[in-house]
Amino acid sequence: MKIFVKVFASLRKKYPSVSDLNPLEMEIDKGTTLAQLIARLNFNQEEVKIILVNGLRASVDDIINEESSIISLFPAVGGG
Amino acid sequence: MEFGYMNKWLKVNLTLKEFKDFSISEDILRQFVGGKGIAVHLLWKYVSKLEEKGINVKDFDALSSENMLIFATGPVTGTRSPNSGRHHVMALKSPLTGSIGSGNSGGRWGAKLKFAGYDGIVVIGKAENPVYISIIDGSVEIHDATKLWGKNSVETSSHLRNKHDKKRAGVSCIGPAAENLVPLAVIMNEEHRATGRTGLGAVMASKNLKAIIVEGNNKPIIAKPDEFDLKVKEHVEKLKEHHTTAESLPNYGTAILVNIINQNGMLPTRNWQTGVNPEAEKISGETLTEEYLINKHPCWGCVVACGRKTKVDKGNYKITYTEGPEYESIWALGGSTAINDMGAVIRANHYCDIFGMDTISVGSSIAAAMELNEKGMIPEEDLQGIDLRFGNADAVVELTWMAAFRQGLGFWIGEGSRKMCQHYGAPDLSMSVKGLEMPAYDPRGAKGIGLNYATGNRGGCHVTGYTIAAEILGDVDRFTTEGKAELVKIFQDFTSIVNSSVNCLFLTFALGLDEYAEMICPVTGWDVDSDELLTIGERITNLERMIINKFGITGKDDTLPKRLLEEKMPEGPSKGQTVDLDTMKEEYYELRGWVNGIPSEEKIIELGLK
Repeated sequence: MKIFVKVFASLRKKYPSVSDLNPLEMEIDKGTTLAQLIARLNFNQEEVKIILVNGLRASVDDIINEESSIISLFPAVGGG
Repeated sequence: MEFGYMNKWLKVNLTLKEFKDFSISEDILRQFVGGKGIAVHLLWKYVSKLEEKGINVKDFDALSSENMLIFATGPVTGTRSPNSGRHHVMALKSPLTGSIGSGNSGGRWGAKLKFAGYDGIVVIGKAENPVYISIIDGSVEIHDATKLWGKNSVETSSHLRNKHDKKRAGVSCIGPAAENLVPLAVIMNEEHRATGRTGLGAVMASKNLKAIIVEGNNKPIIAKPDEFDLKVKEHVEKLKEHHTTAESLPNYGTAILVNIINQNGMLPTRNWQTGVNPEAEKISGETLTEEYLINKHPCWGCVVACGRKTKVDKGNYKITYTEGPEYESIWALGGSTAINDMGAVIRANHYCDIFGMDTISVGSSIAAAMELNEKGMIPEEDLQGIDLRFGNADAVVELTWMAAFRQGLGFWIGEGSRKMCQHYGAPDLSMSVKGLEMPAYDPRGAKGIGLNYATGNRGGCHVTGYTIAAEILGDVDRFTTEGKAELVKIFQDFTSIVNSSVNCLFLTFALGLDEYAEMICPVTGWDVDSDELLTIGERITNLERMIINKFGITGKDDTLPKRLLEEKMPEGPSKGQTVDLDTMKEEYYELRGWVNGIPSEEKIIELGLK
C-alpha cells in the first residue's frame, strides 16, 4: 500500500528534502501501525509528539488503513 | 510593599506638563498582582472618576486627551525569573475597536522601567507640542520631541539612546503611522518588538507623546532569595527539557506553526474562504530558518529566543537586516493574502515595524480588501491602478506603507477591516471580533479558540486564551464543543496572571500555574497557591469585562463573523465544519456567572469587585 509521509521541524534533520510540497512516498504492508512506521523512519517514539493522518489526529497504535494516506509527523511545537 | 515591586508608579499629565509619584497598596497588589491586573484596576477607578465628572464613557473618544494610557510591569518583571523583560500596555479605549485597549510586548523595556525605579506609568492629557519622557535612575523629565516627530521607530530609538548616552536603554516609541492617527498603529519597543494590538500607538500619538526612554540601576528586592534561586533554576531546567521551548521555538521561531496549522486544514487563506493553503511551505518556519535567518534575538532575560534576525538576499524585496517575522505576521501578510512570498512578507513586516503598525490587522485588512475586490466591490477610482488580486505580493507591500501614510486605498486599510468593509458595503467580509482582526487559526478547525475569540474582552485575539495549546498542540479533541467553555475560561484567567506577573506567555508551554505560584511567592513573600492565582486571574478578566460593559459591549458582541458560524469549511481536514458558538457560549456564561455577557451581581461580590 502506498502512503505519503511529511515530516516537519527538527524531524527534517533526518529527512532534509522532505516537505509539505515534497512528501516521502513509501510502500507499507496492510496493518502497519503508526508506531511501526515511526520506527521504520528511524525516529524515536518520544521525538514524534504529534501525528496526523490526512489532517486528523492519530495515535501510535492506530493502523494505517487507507491507500494514499498522508501522514504528517511533528515534534512538540508551539508559538502564537 | 517591600518586595518584588519598585513601590512607585508615575502619573504624567501632559496637558499640565506635570508628573508625580504614587504607590499601590499591598492589599490591591494582592488582589491584582501587577501588570494588566493593576492597569485594569486603575482604569476601573478612572471610569468612576469620569462618570462623576458627567462624562459618558460610552461616547468617549479614544483619541481625546481624556483617554488614559498605562504602561505596567509586575512583580516578576526584571527579576532573574526567565523571560521577564516584558510589559503590558492598556488604554481605557481603543481607537480601532471601541473596546478596551490592551497589548503586551517583548524586548527589555519592562525590565528597564523597573531598573529606572518604577513599576508603571499612567499618562493622561495631551502635550501642546510633541514630547518624549526620560526616566533614568528615578529621575523623570519631559523633553521636547518636535524634531523626532516623523522619524520611524528605528531612528527614534537609536537617536534617544545616543542622546542620553545609554546604549542598552529601553525605548518605547511610536512611528509615523501613529502620528497619522492610524487606528492600527502600535507602540514599538527595542525597534522590532511591538505592543501590537488595538491601536495603542494612535492613543500615544493623540497625546503628542513620541517616546519613553527608561534605564537605571535599581533592582527589585526579592523576599526569599534562596527559595527564588532554587525555583529559577528548576524553571529554567523545565524550559530546557521541553522540546517546544528548547528546540522548536529557538530553532524555527513562532513560524514553526505555519505547517502544523495548515496540515490541520485551519490556516485561514484568501480572507478565510478556506483553511487550506497549498503553498504554505513557502512561508513556513522551516523555510524562514533555511533561507532567511541571520541569527536569533532573545528578549531581555529570555532562555527561549524565538526572536529572529533576518535578511532577504534575492528577489524583489532585498533587505540586509530586519527582525521577525512572527507566525501571525507571516500568516496575515503572506497567507491570508495568498501571496506565499517570504521576501515580500519580510518587507511588509519591516514596514509595519518601522512605521509602527499591527501586522495582523494590516495583513487581514489587505486580505479583506482583496476579497472585496474579487467581489467587485471596490470602484476602479479607489484602486488607482493597484492590481488587488489575491496572490499579488506587490499589492501587499505597497498597501502596507500606504496604510501608514493614509494614502489612497491605504486609508481604508489603516482604518481596519471593519470600517473598510462597512464602507464598501460588505461588513461580513471583515474577519474581526469587536472590530479586532482575528489571528491565524480558523476556529472551524478548533472550536475552543472560536469561543475565546468571541468572548475576548479586547476582541478577536488568541493570546488572551490560547486553547490551540490544548486543541492542536495537545491532546484535546479539536472539533468537539464539549468541555471547551471550561477550557477557555481557565486559559483566559491563567493568561491574565501571566500578563500581570509580567513575563512571557511562551513559558506556559513548559510551566503551569503551580510554577507561577513558585515565582510570585518567593519574589513577594506572599503565600499564594495556584487556586488563588486562578481566582485573581478571574477577577482581572471580570473587571476588564465590567469596563467594556460600560462601553455598551455585551453578549451581542461576543460573536464571530458570519462566515465561521454559517459557511462550512469547503475543503481539507476540517471540511464541513462550522462553529456552534451558541452552545459553547451559553455554557461559558454559566461557568463565568455572567448574564448576557455581563458579570452578575453575585459574581461581582464573590470576586470582591463591588
